[in-house]
Amino acid sequence: MPGAASDTVINGGALVPFSDDTNHSLPIYPLNHGLIAPISRLAISWSHGNSLRVSVFAAETSASAGDQSCGGKVLEVKLGGGDPEISDAHLRRIAYGSVPPFALLQSRRSEVSALSKAPSPYQLDWWEHVLEYSKEITSLLGGPKLSPGAIIEDPNEIVKKGEEPTCLKAAWELMEIFYADKQSQAWLPERLVDWLAGYDSLFTSTQETIHGKLVNFQKELVNIQVIEDDPRYWEAMSSALSVGWLDIVVKMLRLHGSYQLDQLSNRELENGHVEAVAVLISKMPRLRHESTAGNLGECFKSKPDFTKAWERWRSQITKLDCSPYWIQCGNHQTREGLRNMLQIMLGKTENLSKATCYWLELYISHFLYIRPFTMGMESMYNLAQKCIQLKPPISTHRLTGLMIGIIGENTEVVLAECSREFGPWMVAHAIELLTAGSEHAEILLHDEHYNLGGISIVELHRLVYAQVLSSHALTWQIAPIYLTACMKQGMGLLENLLYRQSVQHNDLLLKNIEICRLYELDNISSNIMKVAGVYHWKHGRKGAGVFWLQQAQDATRLNRIAQQLFDSVGKSISDESFKQWEGVIELLGSESKPAGGLEFLHKYRDFKKSLQQVSGGKSTDAARQAKVSLILLMKNPSTPQRFWLPLLYDSLKLLNWKDCPLLNVSETNLLLNKLQELSLARLRPHFIEPTLPAEAISSIRLALATNLGRAILEE
Amino acid sequence: MAMLSDRLGIHRLPQHKYVDAVRWLPLLSAFDRFAVLALFDSDSDSYSIQIHSFKPNPLSLQPQSSWLSPSRISSLKASQFLQKTIIAASTFSGSLHVLFSDSSDASLESEISIPEGALHSVPVSCIDIMDGGGECVTVGEDGKVNLVSIGNSNLNYRRLFDSSGLVSYTAAKWASPVEFATGGYGFSLQWWDQRKPGGPVSQFKGDWDQKLTSGIVHSIDIHPSRKHTCLAGGSLGTVFAWDLRWQKQPIILSGAGAGAGNTAFQSISESEVWEVQYDRCMKSNTSSTHILPAMICSEDGILAVIEQGEEPIELLAEPCAINSFDIDRHNPSDVICSLEWESVAILTRQ
Repeated sequence: MPGAASDTVINGGALVPFSDDTNHSLPIYPLNHGLIAPISRLAISWSHGNSLRVSVFAAETSASAGDQSCGGKVLEVKLGGGDPEISDAHLRRIAYGSVPPFALLQSRRSEVSALSKAPSPYQLDWWEHVLEYSKEITSLLGGPKLSPGAIIEDPNEIVKKGEEPTCLKAAWELMEIFYADKQSQAWLPERLVDWLAGYDSLFTSTQETIHGKLVNFQKELVNIQVIEDDPRYWEAMSSALSVGWLDIVVKMLRLHGSYQLDQLSNRELENGHVEAVAVLISKMPRLRHESTAGNLGECFKSKPDFTKAWERWRSQITKLDCSPYWIQCGNHQTREGLRNMLQIMLGKTENLSKATCYWLELYISHFLYIRPFTMGMESMYNLAQKCIQLKPPISTHRLTGLMIGIIGENTEVVLAECSREFGPWMVAHAIELLTAGSEHAEILLHDEHYNLGGISIVELHRLVYAQVLSSHALTWQIAPIYLTACMKQGMGLLENLLYRQSVQHNDLLLKNIEICRLYELDNISSNIMKVAGVYHWKHGRKGAGVFWLQQAQDATRLNRIAQQLFDSVGKSISDESFKQWEGVIELLGSESKPAGGLEFLHKYRDFKKSLQQVSGGKSTDAARQAKVSLILLMKNPSTPQRFWLPLLYDSLKLLNWKDCPLLNVSETNLLLNKLQELSLARLRPHFIEPTLPAEAISSIRLALATNLGRAILEE
Repeated sequence: MAMLSDRLGIHRLPQHKYVDAVRWLPLLSAFDRFAVLALFDSDSDSYSIQIHSFKPNPLSLQPQSSWLSPSRISSLKASQFLQKTIIAASTFSGSLHVLFSDSSDASLESEISIPEGALHSVPVSCIDIMDGGGECVTVGEDGKVNLVSIGNSNLNYRRLFDSSGLVSYTAAKWASPVEFATGGYGFSLQWWDQRKPGGPVSQFKGDWDQKLTSGIVHSIDIHPSRKHTCLAGGSLGTVFAWDLRWQKQPIILSGAGAGAGNTAFQSISESEVWEVQYDRCMKSNTSSTHILPAMICSEDGILAVIEQGEEPIELLAEPCAINSFDIDRHNPSDVICSLEWESVAILTRQ
């Protein structure tokens, strides 16, 4: 909306006064319009995607300003608000990639519901399909969390550097763990341990983390002479142990000085302790499906086996903890460090709290060492609350809100967090996981809500996402996939989207029509073709205009444009340049196609051709052929009146054919009638006088009269 | 439908930019291979032509040099001329640009152009460079047919024909140093001879389909050994050949019209066939009446080889459109194609 700017231009070209010291929650986008003259008017409208088109008009300047001043400028301002971690191009790549899994899941849903005839398809192994879908999406969001280890491992490399994880991927995996993967419900805590191991680094942005601690220690490692004397060594190890990164802990323990060959004999007992702890750590029983390659610990699939192993392991730790040999261990740091680690493994709250950096790590450590038998969602939320109280977060990370929503089993919160922190793509796709999660969520999300205009929450979020896709020149083509998955308003919006596309360029137009074909929207496609036809016609591309109107079977418009076309044909009637009409006439094709009044052109061309043959030779057969064409043309109601006279004038040779009269009595009468009709029409207004010699009409009349006489005699 | 996937290496390489067209550069040396991409960067609203070096093992495309175009590229061709590699590109605003690149490292050396407004008033639909590179034909929807002669430092053009918009042209291909073919609306084809100005020397418009729908020719190819046959691809999955010696009868290889009366052959696609090229990799019957095998790409994501009287061979079935492709002239087993979803795919056939 254009609006008048305030008449006083504030310093720096700002139109609206603002001061630097007001709070900066408002984003500011500087415009480099480069106009010297003061600005008189601004117009702001949406451009494609997330951009604003700002038109800046300069005030009218006096002539002395010189030639270089321009009257205004149009600028595009890209608004922020995308994911800070992921570029627009990458988000588009994710959008493209998620189309096939989404479409597959939708078609499976309709298959399943068609088979079972039940209102909800969820009693079957639906979650397996959802899990497959989820895995496909995960693979789009980034490569594996950690790159496969180098062939020769660096013994000093504690933290492996893999692809930088993203919050989006972390959030998606979290949803998958809780909603899609029903198998993981039995070992939920272990899944969370793995999750944190992969994504702990993400939290480094808002608080200190164990990952950050380890990375820092790694940097220091080269400068440390005697590693076991450094408190940071022990601190890092106990932290890693508290969240279950066993392989890192064991690897670090093996860096202990007592393993060095020259010291082994002096520090045998100390080394024995270190090794004992290392063995215990690597033997830690874990209740999980399978061990990921390289991870330490012994895996148990069933709870009774795990319980047994766990108790045995605990008793071994207690035994070591109470060992009388600790006093003989000469190195104080080693002794304290190792015993601290034993306390962690024994689940001492105080030690765990000290070893972890923030509530989520503490939460995970609780599952590992205090409540190893937790199954499913029981009291997960209370524990989280407790951990948050123990380690209150300084600032909230975008993943924590989601996490709390999920463990609080609050679908609305999860949706809101997804939408607020991760945007429409996330909500539209994650909702499939949510609905698979529980019947309660399924009902909540699929029920139609009056306050949403009678659509479900699922549909609402799909529509929102489809709108985002529609607004961008490169993604609008995938919006139909999502719109057609919306029962209530999808088709209406799809029609809007298709109508809105430009018809200017053929490729785009044809892609648009192709979408119409896919969804059987023949009516829309024919309307689009009409628009294209009129567009091309108006821009002087007559052939293209005729083609599209013909494709749209729009006889009305074809008739209208035919009248205009005849104006230009009429002038060049006996010209050689009629040749250039060949193309258009060819385009009109066979008579089965609707050509409106344009079919006249086709017949006219045929007549012209036969007339040309006549003019060359004296063959009566050719002349008869030409006569048939002439009569057909004159009989045909679509032959425009203004062509009658030129046609007759052109056929003078036929009318005066030497050998025999070509026209019989009734044919001659027909032509005479037409001539009569024509002289009446001349009296009417708007009659267009053909450019013919003045004596044309009298010579035609004479020829017809002669022919009539000859024909009567003949008969 | 036969599949060849077991002997096929398929690599999809995301570009983060819309790929308007893609070509292999004619071989410069035995070791270095290059592809040229016409790109549209929607984030910065800029258009460019980039030369990428192609490494087969591990397969990769590395940007080598780039040229910013003033407008979006509508047609892209590459050829060799005067010991140089030339890349010709036409734009949506009607201009034509010819880039000369170094024949060893594919770096861009110079650019000459004809500005918008001179050749065409609308987007240039299609251009084609004559083999050996001396001349370039440009056609547009405005019905103009131009011949541009490429010199070392300048371009000269002359208008061969202007239909004043009565006929629009959408495809063009040289047949010989004096003849070329064009295609347009209603599956029409025209044959031109430089020595006979004033209009096409021959026109083809087959009324083969009894249906009400017709289509547009998007691409033409002419085999150097079969100059009398014009291979065309267009709307409704239509691929046909026009043999000048049998003027009125098209040889339909694929498409919606193909089904009528003859169910023996199958249509591999029902949507727009964006590009056709004779597939020099496929060995075939060499009888002069037999149409040689051809590769096509389509809006519904199909890349396939079709041959007269044979089952089509599907090479790729993508979830998005394949907008253009190019078979490497010197290594005909390698195909590069541009995908709608901002990426290119490279196929290596064993």
